[in-house]
Amino acid sequence: MNPERNRRANSLIERLSDDLEPVRAIRTRDGIALVALAVVVTILLVEFTEGLWLAGLTGSASPFFYLGNGLLLVLGAAAAIGVLAMASPRVGNRHEGPKWAMAMAAVLPLAALVTLFSQPGGIAAYHDPYGMHCLTAAVLSSVLVAGALVTWLRRGAPVSVNTAGLLVGVASTALGSAAYGLSCPLDGMLHIGFWHAAPVAIGALVGRFALPPLLRW
Amino acid sequence: MIADEPTMARLMIASQKGDKQAYTVLLTEVQLWLERYYRRRCAPAMLDDLVQDVLLAVHNKRASWDPVRPFLPWLAAIARYRWVDHLRKVYRNAEDALEDYDAPEDSEEEAVMARLSLERMFVQIPDKQSEAIGLVKIEGLSIAEAAERSGQSQSAVKVNIHRGLKKLAALVEKAE
Repeated sequence: MNPERNRRANSLIERLSDDLEPVRAIRTRDGIALVALAVVVTILLVEFTEGLWLAGLTGSASPFFYLGNGLLLVLGAAAAIGVLAMASPRVGNRHEGPKWAMAMAAVLPLAALVTLFSQPGGIAAYHDPYGMHCLTAAVLSSVLVAGALVTWLRRGAPVSVNTAGLLVGVASTALGSAAYGLSCPLDGMLHIGFWHAAPVAIGALVGRFALPPLLRW
Repeated sequence: MIADEPTMARLMIASQKGDKQAYTVLLTEVQLWLERYYRRRCAPAMLDDLVQDVLLAVHNKRASWDPVRPFLPWLAAIARYRWVDHLRKVYRNAEDALEDYDAPEDSEEEAVMARLSLERMFVQIPDKQSEAIGLVKIEGLSIAEAAERSGQSQSAVKVNIHRGLKKLAALVEKAE
């Protein structure tokens, strides 16, 4: 290194050392606690605004209610943990888990589609007047979790920002939809498979294309 | 000789606790490590800026290193991320020549370096894309010159640079 470069580098190192303050290292378990808190507050807000569906909580709903919300919860958890890990980058990190969880959860709308085609009248006969309300409410229910995950990533150093954006969208809408789903008494395959899963597809698109500018550093 | 993984990890733990002396030593070692890391894949005139950029990133993002994990893969991820950014933004001056690349020695440390290296990223994108990026973004040729040298059309060079950089950005954390 020539003397001029050496002087500049030493000056920068001196300045950075002078600026040094103790920091608390990022720990995934702190992130999990933050996301869990956001989910709990979301559920409380759902209870306050829509009211939780007691029949569902006491085991009287159809199996689709538990299957659908369970798949969304697992997908949301897998994607959220993937996001939390991305805040601490390293060569060798793999983000395969959330991809498999997304493939698993895709069974939900696919099963709804197969069910729809097998019904008399097919798509033409399908009408769900409550679908749009559930879709909107589930998307709104994802805001707190999305905020928590974006805050976490901005504190960290994500280096795969497109994937991080996608996973924030998937995690927040899957957890938001599962939280809102606790209030929805429509427990049929078609309603849950379409209208409670659709927010995740919307979240994935918004996360992949709108969030990366917020996550770059 | 550049400090090894355990030494750097120990220095970083002390730095996260606010030990300025340890931090000065760490940043000096990181600087040496980065100069060696970027040696073949960065124009010498830009090396200084890139290394300083990564030192700043290490400073600003030092909380993102988890002490239970190895230090060098964290540093390499940040170095790769900044390098891809650098390729997007900076053209090399035509008169700068690439330095010779010293083949890694067959040691455990060199094996780790190879696994973390920038070369690993280039071999994972198609040859035409790495060639176009190398000619235009690293050697500093114009699109027309790169097209003539590589035998690709000018449009193909532009498309290959665009697609190659996109793929490199997605490979930052890939080790294999």
